[in-house]
Amino acid sequence: MEKSFLKKLIQQRMLVLMSVPFVIWLFIFKYLPLWGWTIAFQKYKPALSFSQQKWVGFEHFKFLFQDDRFLRVLRNTLAMSGINLVLGFVTAITLALLLNEVRIMAFKRIVQTVSYLPHFISWVVAAGIIQTTLAPDGIINEILIGTHIISKGNEILFLGIPHYFWGIFGASSVWKEVGWNTIVYLAAMTAIDPSQYEAADMDGAGRFRKMWNVTLPGIRPVIVVLLIMNIGNLMESGFEPQYLLGNGMNVDFSENIDIFVLKYGIEQSNYSLSIAAGMFKTVVSLILLTTANTIAKKTGEARLF
Amino acid sequence: MAKKIMVASMALAVALTASACGNSSNNGGDEASKNNSSSNTTNNTTASTDNTSATNESASAAKEKVTFSLFNGVANAPDGNTNETTIGKSLEDQTGVNFKIEHLVGDLKTKIGTMIASNKYPDVIDPDAGIDQLLDAGAFIDLTPYIDKYPNIKKVYGPYLNRMKAKDGKIYYLPFSTQVGAYTPDPNINQGAFWVQRRVLKEAGYPKIKTMDEYFKLVEDFVNKHKDENLIGYASLTNDWRFFATSNQSMHLAGYPNDGNVEIDMTTHEAKTYYTNDDTKRWLQALNTLNAKGLFDKASFVDNYDQYIAKLSSKKVVGFFDYGWQIANANNVLKDAAKKDPTQDDYVYQPMPITFDGQPDQLLDPPGFVNNRGIGITVSAKDPERIMQYWDTLLSEDNQILRSWGVKGETYEVDDKGRFFRTPEEIAKIDEPYKLKFGFTYYAWDWPQYGTNSTLSNGNALAPGLQPEVFQLSLTDKDKEILGKYGVKTYAEQFATPQDRPWYPAWGIPKEQGSPQQIWETQKDEVTKKYYPKMVLAKPADFDKVWQEYLGAFGKLDTAGYEKWYTEQIKAILDASK
Repeated sequence: MEKSFLKKLIQQRMLVLMSVPFVIWLFIFKYLPLWGWTIAFQKYKPALSFSQQKWVGFEHFKFLFQDDRFLRVLRNTLAMSGINLVLGFVTAITLALLLNEVRIMAFKRIVQTVSYLPHFISWVVAAGIIQTTLAPDGIINEILIGTHIISKGNEILFLGIPHYFWGIFGASSVWKEVGWNTIVYLAAMTAIDPSQYEAADMDGAGRFRKMWNVTLPGIRPVIVVLLIMNIGNLMESGFEPQYLLGNGMNVDFSENIDIFVLKYGIEQSNYSLSIAAGMFKTVVSLILLTTANTIAKKTGEARLF
Repeated sequence: MAKKIMVASMALAVALTASACGNSSNNGGDEASKNNSSSNTTNNTTASTDNTSATNESASAAKEKVTFSLFNGVANAPDGNTNETTIGKSLEDQTGVNFKIEHLVGDLKTKIGTMIASNKYPDVIDPDAGIDQLLDAGAFIDLTPYIDKYPNIKKVYGPYLNRMKAKDGKIYYLPFSTQVGAYTPDPNINQGAFWVQRRVLKEAGYPKIKTMDEYFKLVEDFVNKHKDENLIGYASLTNDWRFFATSNQSMHLAGYPNDGNVEIDMTTHEAKTYYTNDDTKRWLQALNTLNAKGLFDKASFVDNYDQYIAKLSSKKVVGFFDYGWQIANANNVLKDAAKKDPTQDDYVYQPMPITFDGQPDQLLDPPGFVNNRGIGITVSAKDPERIMQYWDTLLSEDNQILRSWGVKGETYEVDDKGRFFRTPEEIAKIDEPYKLKFGFTYYAWDWPQYGTNSTLSNGNALAPGLQPEVFQLSLTDKDKEILGKYGVKTYAEQFATPQDRPWYPAWGIPKEQGSPQQIWETQKDEVTKKYYPKMVLAKPADFDKVWQEYLGAFGKLDTAGYEKWYTEQIKAILDASK
């Protein structure tokens, strides 16, 4: 066993050498900073040295979980990333399937370009566009008035209605990212052996049948791997859109963990609390990731590790 | 909010550079102006000699050039070296010192936090809202031993030294708003006012309105007469830290100046918050009524600052309350248009002194001293003496004239009576790029300096914008016409004279990092930001119900403790100024 490992190592020395710089990078930037987690268990004051800090055990974590605000932001984080995950996958895969069927190359290219362009707009600009669109004098309200769904003077203040926020967030994320997310699926589809389609043709399968029985199974490994990775990111529901589109009225639904950390940790110079919240996020993400990976393993699907 | 307003005062710096006329909300303390005016003559005769002696002392040091790093926590100008500007070059010739200025990019607290964590600082920091963080971290050196050595610093800061002391009795930074000489009032309105489009006043026959109801009635009548124009009756700014532009209104309507979160009784000197009092209820109810009539811009609660400024510039908003420095961009756009085309004057906003029942307003700032902002020398600085020397040189009257008025014959003129003025050509020449190149942009604020309302020893105003001759030149015929209708010569004359408030502005009293006061302010922000929109947008019948909900939420805060702390601080300042 030992020998074969060494042998393999020597055989693949080029590959190993190539990965060394990245392992070093990973160590410096991802593992060394973990030392900073100690701050979460201290009443940290920036100017003091490590030995002078006061240790407080789990006080910050206790504070977090007893704070109903934190539970609310946790709910918002999970809800928004859940919406993002489901919508993101469904829309991207659907669009990729449809694009894959388009035979007119020019049309396909135009659709692709138009749909992935918003990805390159910064959220600051995108938020401006969304706010203007949803404003009382924005195009959505104009359409609603024009079609007599609402009367003039009763314009809907979309961003002021808390329950609408998750929907607005989901829709804007889809608009922004759907085109970009299709690229990887389209790439995977090109790798499907054309003879499979021919065989399906022979068996008399129609277009939808082929999509269902050939294309989708063909890209399943990609879907599963991406799904595992995204489940690991469930605690990350983004920061900019909530920060930019959030306001006093929708705060109960728009505030997520990142904004909470900014407001009550960084802005108050309460670094310990920020780290505690960050640690909590990391631990939860790790559990989610390994769970998803294990499930994939059990069901014999492609997996990360 | 107080913390946020402090940021606002720094935004002033931007406003100062953005508008030709600068009034900061920071004026020298009242006691100081007394001290100063009595000792003025002596000071002034010695000022020039002080200056020469200081330059003599530094003559040997000045030979050797040195560059210090300076971090400015406000993103109000591009990065660069002071010696690349006319003012900075002149100062380098006098002292041998150049500053390499780095401005904030991104989040201030994060940036300051990084500096603290690495324990490496630029030589000099003007940290704006990050000042408590740096003080906590012990980043600044004590300036006390140096102050006595430098005559100009001593002269300018002398009257304030007691108020500048930190808890431990040391002085860690030099504030920016020290009053030197007599108090020069600002003819423009850079502070709070209820603004209304001039065409509204024109159509109504220039009524002299004083009360909130009259003001809203004026707006309502105009909008109703112009149904087809899709006008916005009343808008209000609520974005992020600028929320105070909305929540301060009830304090001003009740006849108080901007002391932040508290109204201070002029006889008992008790500090009281106003968020749950009848005044605030009355004002919110008025906005609620306005909204029910379709006159209030609902989007006020979702718009960001840029959208708000764009709205004001679009000529669609009839009236609003805000601070002059905060809407300078919109005002300048409208004024410039009116200068080119007098018919556009209809859309220029006129400031009005409005209170609940026509009692005297206190919208103009009394002389004040902002104590929780300043510039300090860090523990990383190798040569504090040279930096202090530079500041001392900068604080000589000649250099203050240079940083404010510029160079005689180039950016200002002197008439036969010794009055400073600027020709229309000079005013036109001094645009943003010119200001940057000359150094007006760098030296407008953020340095030890005479406060904006200071007066020079020759009787001229320190700030060109406050000099009556300059102000009169800046007026268009239409401006003069409307001022004439109200029987005044300046905008400020419409407003009541500010009463003396030695503690002003109360928001400028420093609060410690993570102190109960800071936490109270954060929680108060949360509650008001959540409930104010609810109350304004509620059905009029539900208003009382939402008000009760709001009182319940607000009741969870330790408001009594906050008021007690403030009352103590005010008392301490009053005792010190006796």
